Amino acid sequence: MRNMSATFLRRSRTGYSSHSPNWASRAFSIRSLFGFAAPSESRLEVPESSRFRGSDGSGFVAGPRSRVGASWVRRLEETLGRSGCPARFGGFRPFATRAAVEPATSDGLTVEGIISNQWTILDESEGDWKSHAAAIAQSISLIKRRLQWKNLLVRLELLSRQLDKPYLWDDPQHAGKISREHGTLMVKMKEVMEFEQELLEHIDMIKLAREENDADLESESLKALLRMRRFSKEKELEALLAGEHDSCSCFIEVQAGAGGTESMDWAAMVMNMYKTWAQRRGYGVTVVDEMSGEIAGIKRATIKVDGEYAFGYAKAEVGVHRLVRISPFDSNKRRHTSFAAVAVIPILGGGFSHVQINESDLRIERFRAGGAGGQHVNTTESAVRIVHIPTGVTATCQNERSQHQNKASAMAVLQSRLDRLEMARQAQMNAQHTQSLTEISWGNQIRSYVLHPYRMVKDLRTNYEVSDPDSVLEGDLDGFIWSYLSDLMDKDEASP
Amino acid sequence: MKPTVRPSFVRAWPCIASDFSTFFLRLPPPPLAHARNIAQIRHRRIHSSLSPPPPPPLLASSPPSVPPPLFLRPPKYTTTVADLLEWHSWAKSLAASVGSSFEDSDNGPDSRLLCRELNWLMEDVLDGFDPSLMHKAVARDDPDVIVSSRADVQELYRLWKQRIEERRPFQYIVGCEHWRDLILCVREGVLIPRPETEIIVDLVGDVISKDQGLREGLWADLGTGSGAIAIGIAKILGDYGSVIATDLSPVAIQVASFNVERYSLQEKIEVREGSWLDPLKGVEGKVAGLVSNPPYIPSDDIGGLQAEVGRHEPRLALDGGAEGMDDLLHLCNGAASMLKPGSFFAFETNGEKQCKFLVDYMQNQLPGSFCNVNTASDFAGTQRFVTGFRNG
Ligand SMILES: C[S@@+](CC[C@H](N)C(=O)[O-])C[C@H]1O[C@@H](n2cnc3c(N)ncnc32)[C@H](O)[C@@H]1O
Repeated sequence: MRNMSATFLRRSRTGYSSHSPNWASRAFSIRSLFGFAAPSESRLEVPESSRFRGSDGSGFVAGPRSRVGASWVRRLEETLGRSGCPARFGGFRPFATRAAVEPATSDGLTVEGIISNQWTILDESEGDWKSHAAAIAQSISLIKRRLQWKNLLVRLELLSRQLDKPYLWDDPQHAGKISREHGTLMVKMKEVMEFEQELLEHIDMIKLAREENDADLESESLKALLRMRRFSKEKELEALLAGEHDSCSCFIEVQAGAGGTESMDWAAMVMNMYKTWAQRRGYGVTVVDEMSGEIAGIKRATIKVDGEYAFGYAKAEVGVHRLVRISPFDSNKRRHTSFAAVAVIPILGGGFSHVQINESDLRIERFRAGGAGGQHVNTTESAVRIVHIPTGVTATCQNERSQHQNKASAMAVLQSRLDRLEMARQAQMNAQHTQSLTEISWGNQIRSYVLHPYRMVKDLRTNYEVSDPDSVLEGDLDGFIWSYLSDLMDKDEASP
Repeated sequence: MKPTVRPSFVRAWPCIASDFSTFFLRLPPPPLAHARNIAQIRHRRIHSSLSPPPPPPLLASSPPSVPPPLFLRPPKYTTTVADLLEWHSWAKSLAASVGSSFEDSDNGPDSRLLCRELNWLMEDVLDGFDPSLMHKAVARDDPDVIVSSRADVQELYRLWKQRIEERRPFQYIVGCEHWRDLILCVREGVLIPRPETEIIVDLVGDVISKDQGLREGLWADLGTGSGAIAIGIAKILGDYGSVIATDLSPVAIQVASFNVERYSLQEKIEVREGSWLDPLKGVEGKVAGLVSNPPYIPSDDIGGLQAEVGRHEPRLALDGGAEGMDDLLHLCNGAASMLKPGSFFAFETNGEKQCKFLVDYMQNQLPGSFCNVNTASDFAGTQRFVTGFRNG
């Protein structure tokens, strides 16, 4: 055996896992090696130190004769920097600087170079390495654009400089924030860089294999390229969820428009669509607040969707949803049009500093306060409404079995609403107001669901449409969400 | 947390002791979600009927038969989703037929509230089984799916009938009330703790967060009922302080002791039987905080109470004498001798009128005993509590 291919290297890493099975299997699953973790996996959970432990030199050894392999390892090591070092000891700046340098093959071919070569992109099944390489290069370039790569570089440089400041840790809270953001950014960027690196490795490998007439090596590298090409499509989509709060859990709120029972029934259908969508994605779903209609449906309801990227996906649903059907509530069987408004609020995690709420700014009210209360009344009704007096923002919860818990849930909703207000305020200040934050007006229709006289669901923003409303109402929303998110990004890209 | 069954359970729920303790003590909780477990269940049933029941403890005050709270029973029954759904839709239409008639007659529950109770009943009856799964089973046209439950369907029919026709309180039906972050067992003979009363624990929380001395001190909850306030306080005291919980009613004493043990607070809370301040003999002048939600409804109002309250809850827990102030005044008069200087007190009252009266009474009739006497409102905006400190 002359040269160790990258594929083989990967195998030998897995082999190493027998010494320390825990980290190895976690850190080097194909998916994590190939970049972004799936939305359902935690992409930040893999601790830095274990994720890249293989590169500390003590782990796997590529072998002295493996020219390409050795350089691959070296470059990976360089790329990854001293990832195990705690932030305060520095070691980041080199990464930031390196991140700006475009990686290349041994004969100087870069991703941009591949794209400008304009190699024809054939179907996947046509086994042409140039075609694969060109497709992957395009994906990488798209992913970088979607991630706003240049901005990331600037941000990374800025953060690195701050981390280098000698008195940074005098303010541990600030330092923590900086180093957390820096860490997150590094992970995000490393994943793309690794992917890019990997592409160039395989190209090197193929050229080498041809030089040396090694058909096995060539076909193995070709297979690896094909695999990368497939993954790259997925990564393009995942790059759409790179927004600051995309990885958060969220609240989804649905409110019925005017039109009585028919529109309340529609609101309930919409809410149900989100519940099943969320459950199918493996998210936790809890009803926080629900005001049912007199005869059927809901006037308004709030659910909490727990899980990674819940907000990133659900934000695509903000707006007014319109239904056209023969109303089952109309004895004359007439066609009705009804509306339901959807709002989505991110539940901001640890790194974000929440709006401070003063206990004295709150008015807490119990619903149905009629009567003498106390010992006079036995009621299982313990709904609570909290009013934040300075802003007038309110939150209610009535779904828990004790008042105490209703209050706690309502407080969580209130906190998120105030955080959202604050975010909107800051976003406006930065002139970066995003779609998800626009207040919903009834004119803001985003999607139409027609059950009669024909059957179709059509997104008015993207023109994406589906002819099977039932599947959509049963939570099959991903097509709509992806098409909206990519549209949104493309628009962003068009006007930088 | 996993509650352990101790003797006080047998006292609190005397006549189920044999059946229940057999299941609860000797068998691990059986997760019986599938039909294949039925044989096993049968076996267990036979087994249980063969074990000789211990003689029922003789406690004159205990009612003849008190089944344990639903959520604590072993899931020893199995039923098909179809049967459960049939019951559910029957129960739902019974609830719907109520409309607002209870509300109109005595401010009782309307059908919307009853439907919510029905969901909670399902929650307590089904063994870790999400009710929405039921609807999925139906949607998949699979009504024969078998689920395990803590009560058989016949009992569920009986219970819901009692809820609607006799207006038996929901909390007695399921045998528990969710109060703050606690699940307190309750049964006939003990007052169902009210949401308003949760605030007493918050008031205590405010005080102890500012005064470590009070946090480390001895607290008293007089007329503890289910033990709600005492347990709430013991939990926020954390590693400090201790609580004496008293009641005149033997049933309340049993139920409170049971709840205290369920939360493993026997080391922190001592439950004592006796009238108001009597059980505090020996700690005069040592109490750091005294709280009570004594009966405060004027005797004349008892007849007009909401059916769930008037017909089912113990009069001893509600009737505060002609003006409703008998017990409150008794406590005010006696409190000063129990409390140490700088200590805290909080009483729940019937509302603004009683609050004002008490504040006035303490300032003018008991001059020099208390300071910072104030009222606090419940979440409905009613002035509900009188709080203050012992002079010192
Ligand atoms: C309104 S209930 C309050 C129960 C519990 N503290 C709560 O808040 O849920 C009043 C309690 O006082 C008890 N009680 C009535 N008269 C009493 C007396 N003379 N001495 C002690 N407790 C008494 C009743 O048994 C009842 O448990």
